[in-house]
Amino acid sequence: MAKLRVEDLKRIKEAAKGTVNLRAGEYRVKITVHLGTCGIAAGARKIMNFLLEKIQKTGAADIILTSSGCAGLCNHEPMMTVEVKDSAPVKYVLLDEEKATKIFDEHVMNGHPVSKYALSVGSETTY
Amino acid sequence: MEKKYRVHLLICAGTSCVSSGSLDVRDALVEEINKRELQDEVYVATTGCNGFCAAGPLMIAYPEGVFYQKLTTKDVPYFVEEYLVKGRIAEKFLFESPEGEQLVPAIKDIGFFSRQVLVALRNRGLIDPDSIDEYIARDGYMGTAKALLEMTPEQIVEEMKASGLRGRGGAGFPTGLKWQFCAGSEGSPKYMLCNADEGDPGAFMDRSILESDPHAVLEGMIIGGKAIGSHHGFIYVRAEYPLAIQRLQTAIGQAKDYGLLGEDILGSGFDMDIELYFGAGAFVCGEETALMRSIEGKRGMPRPRPPFPAHKGLWDRPSVLNNVESLANVPQIIYRGAEWFSSLGTEKSTGTKVFALSGRVRNIGLIEVPMGTPLRSIIYDIGGGIPDNKRFKAVQLGGPSGGCIPESLLETPVDYENIAKTGAIVGSGGMVVMDETTCMVDLAKFFLGFTAEESCGKCTPCREGTQQLLNILERITQGDGRPDDIERLETLSKVIQSASLCGLGQTAPNPVLSTLRYFRHEYEAHIFDKHCPTGTCKRLSAPPCQSTCPTGQDVSTYTALIAQGEFRKAWDIIRMENPLPMCLGRICPHPCETQCTRGDVDKPISICALKRFAADKNRECLKDIEPAKALFPEDKVAVIGAGPAGLTVAHDLTLKGYPVTVFEELPVAGGMLHVGIPEYRLPRDVLNDEINAIKRLGVEIRLGVRVGRDISIDEMKASGYKAFFFGIGAHKGLKLRIPGEDEFEGFIDATKFLRNVNLGEKKAPGKKVCVIGAGNSAIDAARTSLRLGAEEVHIVYRRQREQMPANPAEVDAAEEEGIQIDLLTSPIRILGENGKVVGMECLFNELGKPDASGRRRPVPVEGSEFIIETDVIIPAISQSPDLSFLNDDLQFNISRWNSFEVDERTLATNVPGFFSGGDAVTGPATVVEAIGAGHRAAVSIDCYLRDRPYGGYWHPKPHLTLPRLEATEEDEKLVRPEMNELPAADRVDNFDEVELGIDEKAACLEARRCLRCDL
Repeated sequence: MAKLRVEDLKRIKEAAKGTVNLRAGEYRVKITVHLGTCGIAAGARKIMNFLLEKIQKTGAADIILTSSGCAGLCNHEPMMTVEVKDSAPVKYVLLDEEKATKIFDEHVMNGHPVSKYALSVGSETTY
Repeated sequence: MEKKYRVHLLICAGTSCVSSGSLDVRDALVEEINKRELQDEVYVATTGCNGFCAAGPLMIAYPEGVFYQKLTTKDVPYFVEEYLVKGRIAEKFLFESPEGEQLVPAIKDIGFFSRQVLVALRNRGLIDPDSIDEYIARDGYMGTAKALLEMTPEQIVEEMKASGLRGRGGAGFPTGLKWQFCAGSEGSPKYMLCNADEGDPGAFMDRSILESDPHAVLEGMIIGGKAIGSHHGFIYVRAEYPLAIQRLQTAIGQAKDYGLLGEDILGSGFDMDIELYFGAGAFVCGEETALMRSIEGKRGMPRPRPPFPAHKGLWDRPSVLNNVESLANVPQIIYRGAEWFSSLGTEKSTGTKVFALSGRVRNIGLIEVPMGTPLRSIIYDIGGGIPDNKRFKAVQLGGPSGGCIPESLLETPVDYENIAKTGAIVGSGGMVVMDETTCMVDLAKFFLGFTAEESCGKCTPCREGTQQLLNILERITQGDGRPDDIERLETLSKVIQSASLCGLGQTAPNPVLSTLRYFRHEYEAHIFDKHCPTGTCKRLSAPPCQSTCPTGQDVSTYTALIAQGEFRKAWDIIRMENPLPMCLGRICPHPCETQCTRGDVDKPISICALKRFAADKNRECLKDIEPAKALFPEDKVAVIGAGPAGLTVAHDLTLKGYPVTVFEELPVAGGMLHVGIPEYRLPRDVLNDEINAIKRLGVEIRLGVRVGRDISIDEMKASGYKAFFFGIGAHKGLKLRIPGEDEFEGFIDATKFLRNVNLGEKKAPGKKVCVIGAGNSAIDAARTSLRLGAEEVHIVYRRQREQMPANPAEVDAAEEEGIQIDLLTSPIRILGENGKVVGMECLFNELGKPDASGRRRPVPVEGSEFIIETDVIIPAISQSPDLSFLNDDLQFNISRWNSFEVDERTLATNVPGFFSGGDAVTGPATVVEAIGAGHRAAVSIDCYLRDRPYGGYWHPKPHLTLPRLEATEEDEKLVRPEMNELPAADRVDNFDEVELGIDEKAACLEARRCLRCDL
């Protein structure tokens, strides 16, 4: 493809905001599964595939499922972050398929966070 | 004077809010405020990120602290009109938390997150590492654009120098300076290298950065390339990091597609290529010259510096090697400025540092904190402290090249200078937390094992020296340590440090030196006492039951023998550390059971009952004991006091071949076993059988002889006694210090009362008895009074039942027998009439703040005075040794509790040849502790008489290694047996033994429950 200029960088920045920052995009929910080595070793890949299947089954087009690196709390893996548009993201820890199902049904589909599996709400402070 | 404003508006200028337009909103606000001429009333400022980036741009309005979200420039006039002019809260923008979310704690309320400041890890968990677009959305490649299009190489170097960034790989060399040296160096081509050969055990920050934010590292290398004039980059990454490699490859491919790598990047005319080089995982290749040799295709070995790589590096061309984390910081420093970066951290250590937190800490993971954060905050606030109620012991910083930092230095701020002062290094950022169960010698051995393995072999001191260090540590942990080993370790360490070429050898001895610096006593325990205090080194430690027992009773072996039905052998094992097993099997408070591993599963093994069973079963064998062989007939030993401590000394020394005489003032032997503990707990025939067995060995016990009255110490010396042991116990009751004490008939101290009863004076003290106190002797006095015919017995105690120091089983038994316990009551005056006790005046207490013992202190309630009528009062608050037998000839050091002061290890008093142990030293304690002290004193006296230096007390280990019995299905159903007891009704009017032990079948089954920690 053609080489980027600074203007292109800015254009990509605006366009990609939609997936990094939900309110700028057309998705309603963003699910991030933390796929660092620690997460994968604890079974995060399985959770990722499981959620992919769930999304396909529901046929919902407004859910984005993405992966990211380690969230820092390696002994709480597998972890995922669920962000519903216009509300703060919620981090879930020590997941298995049963927990992922409940989180998917209640939080992703109906907007009610599952507090008993949640670690925290909000995003980390970056300097 | 500071200007006052009516309203403060704080607008979030975190990266996320800025990218969603918060700065535009700020400008619009300022403009609108000026237009309305409110600038003297309203103050507008920007702040750092609030965390709720999803709802940005954010603004907090003070004084109300209202939280507004999702503001746009279009909304500004409406907001100013509503909030600032009309004074109404602009509800349209209020932040509402969705239903249910209140239950989830906010990230800022979670210590793990709230204390961290993310710079190098700013994209962790936020972006998809396989998406360059998402990286760009978070200001990605903006630093590159600025460096390539707007800055000269000199400006970049100056910016880096101003930022104060120091190499995050461990050495802490200023990155800007390194770039400057290479930039000024002649030669072409130049190389920009990234060190991703992370190898410290317990460090994984580089891997995590590469996995979650690979573009940040690429960008750092492009900027560095421009600064030094290099167009070729290599990332040296270990092949054990497949995911990091995969993400790097994807990232490089994407950057090439976008023209962010390759020729004429962003139209700047600057070219840069980056290649990956896979290392095979040799630790030494983290050293820069060895790493470069490895890329050249040669064997990875360091070479002497100078020439430094900035002049002659890879293929002898000028090169710069930076660590992954250092490079990940670069794009943000360039994009946002040196000042922004250096505002974090301390003066000499700017910015943040990533640490891999692992080991015995609740939150294991990757953290980033400003330099200068105290260690305590990292371990407790972020790490969540130590799990399983264990105590913090030390933290290892800098992996095998670093050192440990003990609890006393936990306030140390984490920066290069302060950590170096402790003997550790910041290093690459591995932080391994250790709790009290970690053996520091074993830890040093682990790290030396690592460096000895990883030494490249080039320098002999490193290659051979680390192996020698390892050999010495190995033999110390195996119990073969030699007295001069510590010195040898130190000398060898210094040689290795000074005679090795590279950092690997120069730092390899650090774990040994720093553990020696802070935990020397652990080395000494291993070498001299042959004891591993944490129980880590198997050859030097016993199972928990045995380690806990003051006598070191070999519980696991005798339990295994009982399970096999080998009762005689079990008894032999028991008697190796215990001359009075029938007694202890009845009255021991068994601290071993509290530590029993089986207790973590269901209930601890009934160790005490098993001992009693084995001892009772072999009672007849006591009669077969033969006199010990006399080896040193000239070296006579005098033991003063025939209690458990004295009898043990006599027993042990007789077996060692010394003639021992025990001098006892009372007409009976056994000390408190005879005159303190009542018969219903310890039948006298049982006690006498065991004392007779000790006599059978050849010990002479002279009853009714008071030293100082009937025989003087000088006379004893004259008749050939060369060593003396004072085992005089603590037989003097302490005073209540209240009016009326000792004035009336019917007031008798518990020690004296029990002694009189046990010596035969078996008559009821009165109709109603009040015992004051709540220790075991108080319970003994109360239950004894009941058996003697007292109609009503009370125990009066100033605290609550849970705080009673007596054995809980004894308290239960007392209540079962009908004894009443009056809690939170303190006597203040003894009342008498016609010379006889008629009652006592008391006060009620409330519980106040905890005292030194950790128990809540009783505080008297004013005006709560009341009178308890009674005709007998027995104070049982505590006892002290009675030292009145001493005359002034010998000046012993006496403690303020009126007990002998002795050397803790040798039990020697300040007067040569005189030793003491048991209650005479500790004040009232347990029989098992007295026996333990007796063993220790016997070892010490033997050394004294043989003129050998005291070599340390040999902590007992299991005597035999017995195979584990095959488990059956029935074994799973086994439960701890109930002790057979005499029913309360059958025991309150006599002195028959209450506890009846367990039978043979129960004992064999119980022994099968042992988990065999000894194996």
